[in-house]
Amino acid sequence: MGLFQKWGINVPHHVVISDAEQLDTLASANPWMKNAKLVAKAHEALGGRFKLGLVKVNLDLAGAKAAAKEILAREIDGMKMTQVIVAEMVEHTEEYYLCVKSTREGAEILMAKFGGIEVESNWDKVQRNFVEVGEKSAPGQCTELAKRCGFTGDLAQKMAACAHSLFDMFDNEDGQYIEINPVVVDKKTGDVVALDAVTMLDGDARFRHKDWNFNWAAEFGRAYTEAEKEIMEIDSKVKGSVKLIEIPGGQVALLPAGGGASVFYSDAVVNLGGTIANYSEYSGDPPGWAVQALTERVAALPGIKHIIVGGAIANFTDVKVTFQGIIAGFRIAKEKGLLKGVKIWVRRGGPNEAIGLAAMRELKNEDFDIEVFDRYTPLTDIVDMALGKKKV
Amino acid sequence: MAIVANENTRVVILGGQAAVNAARRMGEFCHLCRLPFYVEAFVYPPDAGKTYDIPVGSQIVAVPIYATLAEASAAHGTINTALVYIGPARAAQAAMEAMDNPKIKSISMITEGVPEKDAKLMIKKAKQTGKLLNGPSAIGIMSAGKARLGVIGGEYNNLILSKLYRQGSFGVITKSGGLSNEIMWIISQFADGITTAIGIGGDAYPVTDFVDYLELFEKDPDTKAVVIVGEMGGNLEEGAAAWYAAKPRRIKLIGVVGGFCQEKLPKGMKFGHAGAKEGAHGEGSARAKSNALLKAGAIVPETFGALGPAIKKVYEDLKAVGQTTKAEDIAPSELPQLPRKVEEGLKSGMIAVEPLFKNTISDDRGEEPLYCGYAASELINEGYDIPHVIGLLWNKKLPTPLEAELIKRIIILSADHGPAVSGAFGTILAACAGIGLPQSVAAGMIMIGPRFGGAVTDAAVYMDYGLRNYPNDIPGFLAYMKKEVGPVPGIGHRVKSLKNPDKRVQEIIRFVRENNITSPRLDYALKVQAITTTKKDNLILNVDGTIGCVLLDMGYPVESLNGFFMLARTIGMIGHWIDQKRNQGRLIRMYNYLINWAVTPRRPVPKLPKK
Repeated sequence: MGLFQKWGINVPHHVVISDAEQLDTLASANPWMKNAKLVAKAHEALGGRFKLGLVKVNLDLAGAKAAAKEILAREIDGMKMTQVIVAEMVEHTEEYYLCVKSTREGAEILMAKFGGIEVESNWDKVQRNFVEVGEKSAPGQCTELAKRCGFTGDLAQKMAACAHSLFDMFDNEDGQYIEINPVVVDKKTGDVVALDAVTMLDGDARFRHKDWNFNWAAEFGRAYTEAEKEIMEIDSKVKGSVKLIEIPGGQVALLPAGGGASVFYSDAVVNLGGTIANYSEYSGDPPGWAVQALTERVAALPGIKHIIVGGAIANFTDVKVTFQGIIAGFRIAKEKGLLKGVKIWVRRGGPNEAIGLAAMRELKNEDFDIEVFDRYTPLTDIVDMALGKKKV
Repeated sequence: MAIVANENTRVVILGGQAAVNAARRMGEFCHLCRLPFYVEAFVYPPDAGKTYDIPVGSQIVAVPIYATLAEASAAHGTINTALVYIGPARAAQAAMEAMDNPKIKSISMITEGVPEKDAKLMIKKAKQTGKLLNGPSAIGIMSAGKARLGVIGGEYNNLILSKLYRQGSFGVITKSGGLSNEIMWIISQFADGITTAIGIGGDAYPVTDFVDYLELFEKDPDTKAVVIVGEMGGNLEEGAAAWYAAKPRRIKLIGVVGGFCQEKLPKGMKFGHAGAKEGAHGEGSARAKSNALLKAGAIVPETFGALGPAIKKVYEDLKAVGQTTKAEDIAPSELPQLPRKVEEGLKSGMIAVEPLFKNTISDDRGEEPLYCGYAASELINEGYDIPHVIGLLWNKKLPTPLEAELIKRIIILSADHGPAVSGAFGTILAACAGIGLPQSVAAGMIMIGPRFGGAVTDAAVYMDYGLRNYPNDIPGFLAYMKKEVGPVPGIGHRVKSLKNPDKRVQEIIRFVRENNITSPRLDYALKVQAITTTKKDNLILNVDGTIGCVLLDMGYPVESLNGFFMLARTIGMIGHWIDQKRNQGRLIRMYNYLINWAVTPRRPVPKLPKK
């Protein structure tokens, strides 16, 4: 919400609290809290909050306090709710839609004289305006867009101004996709207000936005797990990358190298009717310890039957170094009593491949259930073998 | 032929360590293909004015480093290609500069994590300037046998195995760097190898995409088929399909798309590549892309595993109509080998070297030093002491307890002899002139010689000579010494005399006697002293002579004997240096009254004779 205010887009009055008792003190300084209907939501990087019962509407101050208390006592997937946002319910009659999305050549400003759930079903009636990268949205352009949507008079000017501000925000804050749905007109003030929004910014541009202080949300409607957070933390520190997303219930754990190959390994498992327990990859010649940490986390995934240590022929990732990390991770996992009944499948090529693969083969002598293949075995054949489609 | 990179490619690399690593890989490629090295310059301001030394075969090529691209381009008129290896915050700016340079035609940006907006601005600029920009996040470009931009192709042995030393018939375009290598390998196994392989990078907005390179491949008569590897996200694969379907194409298109798993995975999940994500409204799925390619007439294997056989089929069809290269494979043994490092060569028994010198006492090649085979830590834990280490390193054996005790005593007795003696005074003079510890101690050490502390070896040598040649004829020995050598080393002291004996000498002799250590040379030296002191009271056996005789009799090598005094006295010299530092000793200047001014009085300078 801070970012919208920074770019002059109205948002409802709101306060953020970590303790329900704070509301009384805040209410004495914020008259709207006593005069307006309120909404309370969990202020966490978490999708699907409404369904999870983490949004309560139509409250008075006492109701908001009770709702905040209830929300703050909740725990979702091991994630404790630590903050609640209490906002004014803006009285309105109509809902509209505004969005700026990135295209290869620049950005599109999308606008509609309808909003909320109507947008999906009327997608072809949403009006668009293209702005080339490096250009500013001309003032008249947004007015023309608003008129095309059917807005007239003062409201057309207000929607145009809001769209203009939204584009400025998108352009200056390295936006990928910013959607306000709905945009409403506050009955009391007549202002155009952004009631709810999806904001996707380019994480790669973090270096030029020192004021970005918000938490990044997982993009698939749940909070990150401890293991995922740990790997993300490592990923942000090291050369190259290590990635982990857990998928509960899967039987095939993935520990492949490379952003491209990892996708084909996931495909190969799913294609044969297998279930993957995670998505992972390491690439860009990461240090051995980072790969070791990833390995320990992957080996600890519950209920797994196979681990696929796959990879294409690396350009510059050192197979020896990264495999030393994986081997160390497997040894630690085994000491902890993990990997029982888990079969490990290895296929890899690249710098120092002979040494790396030989070290992996040595694990057979330490009672690991492991099969090791080199470049002469096609990339995804280890998945076929693991799932019994092909003989070893 | 090949596309983008070829035998005319001349490169400038922007960046530091990563740029050097890439240049090394390019040097390996030049060695394999017997090409001249085509990296002409680096741009890296912190090292501007220096060179990076890149091995090409067994040669080292010194490649100059410039502060700006403009300077590099001005100094090397043939540069037509830039590789960008600098960080994401400045990469786009550098690429813009490269595109503005009229001589640079193509750019590969290897930098990962470039913001999308910067990529889009580069797309716009590339269009305006007509330049080809490959990347960001691209692994580079490989034109088999002709030019390699970046590390694409990986290590040397892979270049050989994937036959990247000669042109084949297949083009490759992939988003993934690792998979570009894998595809080149597959093509070398199932077909006749590649013409050019290009990684376009896995970002959301690669500046050049499948279509840009398909256009170029279509115009390259040597490329008969192109393999593209795509993945979910964006619409570049759909673009490739539309291009292929737009009109009849000469090249065969084989496409494989990753990301079918997404249908079974949580919506919105992010994969390894920045661009590998679904659009907000479900566009860009692997299935949609695969279907588009299939509809356009491309060959689309159902899985990655089926790609090899599909490529083989295309190759067989091309071969049947005489469309493939006649390129012969070269046996790996016929290809240039990467020069081995000396260590590797020695290990494999391929080479022998004549060592510079022989070492017999100490070995630090393992995890800790070994002194004559004994690990230092074990010696400590067994309770051994400094004299034992001296015994091992100087005499290659552990001293007996008695010997160790005697060595200890010799060191204690010789550690210092006050500030006035030559050694300590040398050190103090230097210390007071503000000179550091090692140099000040060295100044004291320089004093050790025939007149001060350095007579131990010579004393032992001549007493030994006397004992052997004049065992019962001391006057004869003294006459020999007077005639052939001069004063007898080990005999005589500046201040000590028979009446004022040297305590240190007495202590050593007492220890030798009390412990019944046989020392015939000491006995002989004492007999010499008995005669010399009759001539002059201070011609006594001094500490050098005593130590030398006893140690030689204990079996220490002659060469080591001066070392005992030096080692012991180092303790004292270090002490004097520390002492002066703590005293804040002032610069010492000799007093005039301590100098005998035996000089010529002042006189007129004669005129300098003209030539």
